[in-house]
Amino acid sequence: MSDFFNTYGSLIVFMVLNALLALSLYLPLMAGQLSLASPGFFALGGYIAAIMSTKVFHVEAGAYPLGYVLIEMLLAALASGVLALIVGIPSLRLRGIYLALATIAFIEIVRVLSLTLEITGGAVGIFGIPQPFGTPLGYLWLALPLLIVAALAIWRLERVRVGRAFNAIRADELAAGAMGINTTYHKVLAFTLGAILAGIVGVVYAHVLNTWNARQGTFEAGVAYLTYVLIGGSRTVVGPIVGGLALTALPEVLRSLGGESLPTWLNNFLNSGQSIIYGTLIVLSTTFFPQGLITPRLLRFWRRTRASNDQ
Amino acid sequence: MSNDHPLLSIRSITRRFGGLVAVDGVSFDVRPGEIFGLIGPNGAGKTTLFNVITGLIPPSSGELTFADVAITRRAPFRIARRGIGRTFQNIRLFSDLSALENVQIAQHIHERSSTLAQVLGLPSARRDDRRTRARAMELLELVGLAGRASEIAGNFAYGDQRRLEIARALALEPQLLLLDEPAAGMNSSEKHELSAFIRQLRDQFDLTVLLIEHHVPLVMGLCDRIAVLEFGKLIALGDPASVRNDPAVIQAYLGDE
Ligand SMILES: Nc1ncnc2c1ncn2[C@@H]1O[C@H](COP(=O)(O)OP(=O)(O)O)[C@@H](O)[C@H]1O
Ligand SMILES: [Mg+2]
Repeated sequence: MSDFFNTYGSLIVFMVLNALLALSLYLPLMAGQLSLASPGFFALGGYIAAIMSTKVFHVEAGAYPLGYVLIEMLLAALASGVLALIVGIPSLRLRGIYLALATIAFIEIVRVLSLTLEITGGAVGIFGIPQPFGTPLGYLWLALPLLIVAALAIWRLERVRVGRAFNAIRADELAAGAMGINTTYHKVLAFTLGAILAGIVGVVYAHVLNTWNARQGTFEAGVAYLTYVLIGGSRTVVGPIVGGLALTALPEVLRSLGGESLPTWLNNFLNSGQSIIYGTLIVLSTTFFPQGLITPRLLRFWRRTRASNDQ
Repeated sequence: MSNDHPLLSIRSITRRFGGLVAVDGVSFDVRPGEIFGLIGPNGAGKTTLFNVITGLIPPSSGELTFADVAITRRAPFRIARRGIGRTFQNIRLFSDLSALENVQIAQHIHERSSTLAQVLGLPSARRDDRRTRARAMELLELVGLAGRASEIAGNFAYGDQRRLEIARALALEPQLLLLDEPAAGMNSSEKHELSAFIRQLRDQFDLTVLLIEHHVPLVMGLCDRIAVLEFGKLIALGDPASVRNDPAVIQAYLGDE
């Protein structure tokens, strides 16, 4: 068992963190807003962690204090929130594909800035980000509570006024306005909550990776998060979590399927055919499961069968 | 407010779409407590006028006053919160949500507890939730859909969707209710029931009703006053008897009935 955790420690942590990133994309989607901005805020959070831990907090020896990581997370949340308001208020006037394009432009700007600015280390990035934990698996102490809190908060949010307003805007924005819902406020709120979550995850990611540069938080990353949501399911909070966990593990599972006995081409495919497999999965799931694998109907069905088994 | 002091005042409203003048300098008042009918041939600009009143599209020119407050060019949600509820000619329910949720959404402006209290499920928020849920159930009961509260709105039959839209609009607790062709697709006995129901709503909720309807006998029997639009212009205004005998109206509209 401990062997298993040592081998797969970082994989398990990345699964949880990617589930969180999927949730950061799911939040604006709750209000019907397709935003690919998450990687930009994720990159920002990572740079805040990298700069704070290597240039501001000086820790000479031993493990990096967890308290400092929490301070970085708080700063990242604040910075992402403020930036989300600045980006979100003008761009959420745009709809559909235009909002998606505006958010892609935003992550490009973040990328170019981090390549040119001195404080972000230019093209080289920032190295030697200190570690608060001795093993990769230790990061579960941060990532798992974060996932539980985020999932519970979103789950509750969907059941109260604000979440219902999100749902109404997703279903029919015009009718939502006519029913007294301040649509702009709610769209900006959903976008900002997603940005804050992505920024916080960036902090943890930077420590796990030990290094941060402009290759983090790209457009491709945004597409990957979107894949998690679309395949896992975009209509319930469980969907993006399942999608993030499963699709992060998938490449490892495929790699482990390979071996001596298989032909070389198949091994190559299992090792590096990731984008082909993701692409195929997107096509299949959007064709056969337009709401993703985990749907509200499926969850209701599970609850009912469990309730009747309990009797 | 005395009875002839208008609740809604429409002043020289014009709305153009490119070269087309959909609403052309229309002015009239709606008085508190009346059931006011808006009739006219297809394309006369009735729905456009509703959209202008509720802020969904801005007027090209003209002014709107509701309960003595200027509402011209206000955001739709502000106009709704001031007390104007509406239904849509081409039904616009939140079709993937349940009937209950549809009504609760419109009711959310009356919830007092903070979002944080609601997410944490604090007692004040739970009380609020119980109250709005009970109120939403009452409204579903009123339109005869209480037994189907948890069904998805999009699966309802056409007539039930229309009734659900009325319940949703009532959840705002409006002073003025705008109904856009509520009797569309109903047979004559259903139209009769609807007529009685609208009167009941007016009395029970102290409502003022502004309604668009094609079916002339229904409008004549139900409305206190009627305005007639043709090609965006107001061509007649008055009580049912005077409108019915108006030569311009007979020419434009009633002639082909
Ligand atoms: N959004 C729009 N864009 C362009 N033309 C419109 C729009 N809405 C309505 N119209 C036009 O305005 C005229 C009045 O339409 P409408 O108000 O729907 O009439 P009614 O409800 O009386 O049948 C029609 O000619 C219609 O085609
Ligand atoms: Mg119409």
